[in-house]
Amino acid sequence: MTDSHLTRRTLLRYGAYGAGAAALAGTAASWDRLTGADVPGRDDGSLVVATLGSAFDPAAVRALREGFRELHPDIPLRVNAVQAVDWSDFFAKILTQIAAGTAPDLVYVATEGVQLFARRLGVPLDRWVRRDADELREYFADVHPSLVESMMYEGSLHQLPVEFNAADMYLNRQVLRRAGADVPPPDWTRDDFTALLRRMKRSSDAHFTPYFWTNRLWGGVMPWLFANDTNLLAESKAPGGSWLWDTFYPADQRRGRGGGFRWTTPQATDDRVAEAYEYLASLVREDLCTRPEGGNGSNLVGVFSTGRVGVTPAGGFWAGGLHLAGMDPDGYDVQYFPRRLTQRHQFGAAGYAMLRTSKMQDAAWEFIKYAARRDTLTRLFRSNQTTPARRSMLTEARYRDTGPAGWRVFYDTLDRFPDTGPIPAPPQVAEVEQVLLKHTGAALSSPRAVRPALRRMQGDLEQAMEREI
Amino acid sequence: MTDTQSPDTRVPARRPRPAAPPAAVPPPSARSRGTRLLATLFLAPTIVGIVVFTVVPIVGSVVLSLYHWDVIDSPSFAGGANYGEVFGDETVLVSFRNTLVFMVFAVALQLLIALTLALAVNGRMPVWLRSVFRSAFFFPLVLSAASISVVMKYLFNQDFGVVNWLLGLVGIAPVPWLTSENAAMATVVLVYVWQQFGFSFLLFVGGLNNIPKEIHEAASLDGATGLRKHLSVTLPLLSPTLLVASVVGIINALQVFEQPYVLTNGGPGDSTRTVVMVIYETAFEQLRFGEASAVGVLLFVLIMAVTALQFRLSRRFVHYQ
Repeated sequence: MTDSHLTRRTLLRYGAYGAGAAALAGTAASWDRLTGADVPGRDDGSLVVATLGSAFDPAAVRALREGFRELHPDIPLRVNAVQAVDWSDFFAKILTQIAAGTAPDLVYVATEGVQLFARRLGVPLDRWVRRDADELREYFADVHPSLVESMMYEGSLHQLPVEFNAADMYLNRQVLRRAGADVPPPDWTRDDFTALLRRMKRSSDAHFTPYFWTNRLWGGVMPWLFANDTNLLAESKAPGGSWLWDTFYPADQRRGRGGGFRWTTPQATDDRVAEAYEYLASLVREDLCTRPEGGNGSNLVGVFSTGRVGVTPAGGFWAGGLHLAGMDPDGYDVQYFPRRLTQRHQFGAAGYAMLRTSKMQDAAWEFIKYAARRDTLTRLFRSNQTTPARRSMLTEARYRDTGPAGWRVFYDTLDRFPDTGPIPAPPQVAEVEQVLLKHTGAALSSPRAVRPALRRMQGDLEQAMEREI
Repeated sequence: MTDTQSPDTRVPARRPRPAAPPAAVPPPSARSRGTRLLATLFLAPTIVGIVVFTVVPIVGSVVLSLYHWDVIDSPSFAGGANYGEVFGDETVLVSFRNTLVFMVFAVALQLLIALTLALAVNGRMPVWLRSVFRSAFFFPLVLSAASISVVMKYLFNQDFGVVNWLLGLVGIAPVPWLTSENAAMATVVLVYVWQQFGFSFLLFVGGLNNIPKEIHEAASLDGATGLRKHLSVTLPLLSPTLLVASVVGIINALQVFEQPYVLTNGGPGDSTRTVVMVIYETAFEQLRFGEASAVGVLLFVLIMAVTALQFRLSRRFVHYQ
């Protein structure tokens, strides 16, 4: 093309296009970034609370909202029930909301996310707890210090626990009767457990599996590591926290407490870890247990309630699940996890974490206090879908319709075994959990795979823990 | 084009310039400009959709792959560091290998089953029965892959699944469909193919119907029968459809996510972890959006390369009538 084709008119036209485009680009660049909060109706000045949708039923969420309105009519509340299959999925969705600029003020966070939220997103509750100490005395007197300690990070309290679940052992009474066995005593050992599985296997048909477990951070291989007096990551406690212990707990209960847990050096190749894995591998080889299945054990209720599974680890949350599945209260029972070197149990707890991006932090604190009240928790946890963090709520009446007869085990786990602690959940928990699940599956996929898989797990854990979060 | 008037016969809008080269395109008439404007208006929603939902995310991913970003803090420029991390990450490399293995077996099986069934359905049978088969084979495709995978997870459960129960009836020991490194990938392929082959099946049925009967009759007169007729007549004439089915099949297979995520969560070990799973885990579980984008860009390049290779090879193997 030659210049002769570019007429003055054409030149002026393209010039106008260019100027228009530049003006548009300039206008766009001068705008603030559009976020989800710009969607009309999103940011209506309410206190926004994100809960794990599947944790509370709609009636419970409604009760939560109405109770708060009665108490604080001046604070508009919006409960955002986020549907997710597990905590990891829930956190992913919360982070997507944060990225979209629609961060909630409060997030319901379980042990899996306590340290991640505390380190990156959360606000320590210390100043409010100190300010309202008199009001909170009744709460702390009702809640075991181990649960409170699991919500501390580097000396500060980040959540008031409202629920928890320790991994105890559920036993199917129908299967026990078939095997001519009884509910084992509280101090039973791992050998007793193996003998019971063999007895159950002998008395049942080929479609029966004595022990079912799910490959996950809570209740998977971890309880066996705890019983072997070891952990996936070296465990210690952060200094600090005495401001809380000295204020709310008597001397015998604050002994050994610190400023929260620290999980640091990976120790997957530790002999005790390997021994626990080899034990589970031996159960798989003997057909005494399922191979580690991924997921949330959603098919477990069906196979347990119909007598195709004899024993499985679960917390208080399962009483409600079995009841809904039609299991009689006396159709099953619960006992402590068996002892090996120790009988230390593992648990997970949950409460509300306040986000540092919240512009309504005082209102958020009022909600946290409200959510930890006994009457609120009674309204929220009506169907035994979890173990309330308040000891006083675990009563004969609560478990009369659902069972189990040994319901005291749920809370007594904390008293009887005071070293019982949370699952290891450092800020790098997502990678740690992924590495654990991946290599646990590989370790138990074939005989003699345990040690090589644990060596690979160790390498991956070291890499994960080196990552700055 | 509906305008039958040749441009050469039109009255020029303005006097031609003496210096204009003879090959210069005459300026468009008002009518053709109107047609173009109308066409642009009709295309605009599609173009805007492609730009907003495809081009912008692709460009965004490429840009993001050059940054470290964890959602919580502002992104920081990383240059090529994310790509360095990705190439040094064994899980990423294994996921690419798994995805390619999955793609080869899934697409081959999908095309083979779809073609065989299309040939069978295209044979002699009542019209109503043909409709039943067409609907039945296509039906899984309209279901959600995640829902199907949840159901399949129950069916293939080693201890409580129906599949092993049925095998047990004929004396076969339980198969670790989802918990053995060797069997898990095969199970994921089976579940994927079961859902996906309906699309290729429909393409093949359409392609077979487009082959003129006269050609088959001529082949029969020349003495070709059965398999020979399919190999020498049907397949060459169906090759354009095969190309489309394989291109779409490969692109879909390289992006597989739901089936391995629900059925095995990538396990045992990493044996069924695919590239898109790694992207999801890296971004949304580990908050490493830059590295996840880098993996996404590499997957994009891989898909482009495989598709380009297919079209290049198609020049030799695809016969258009």
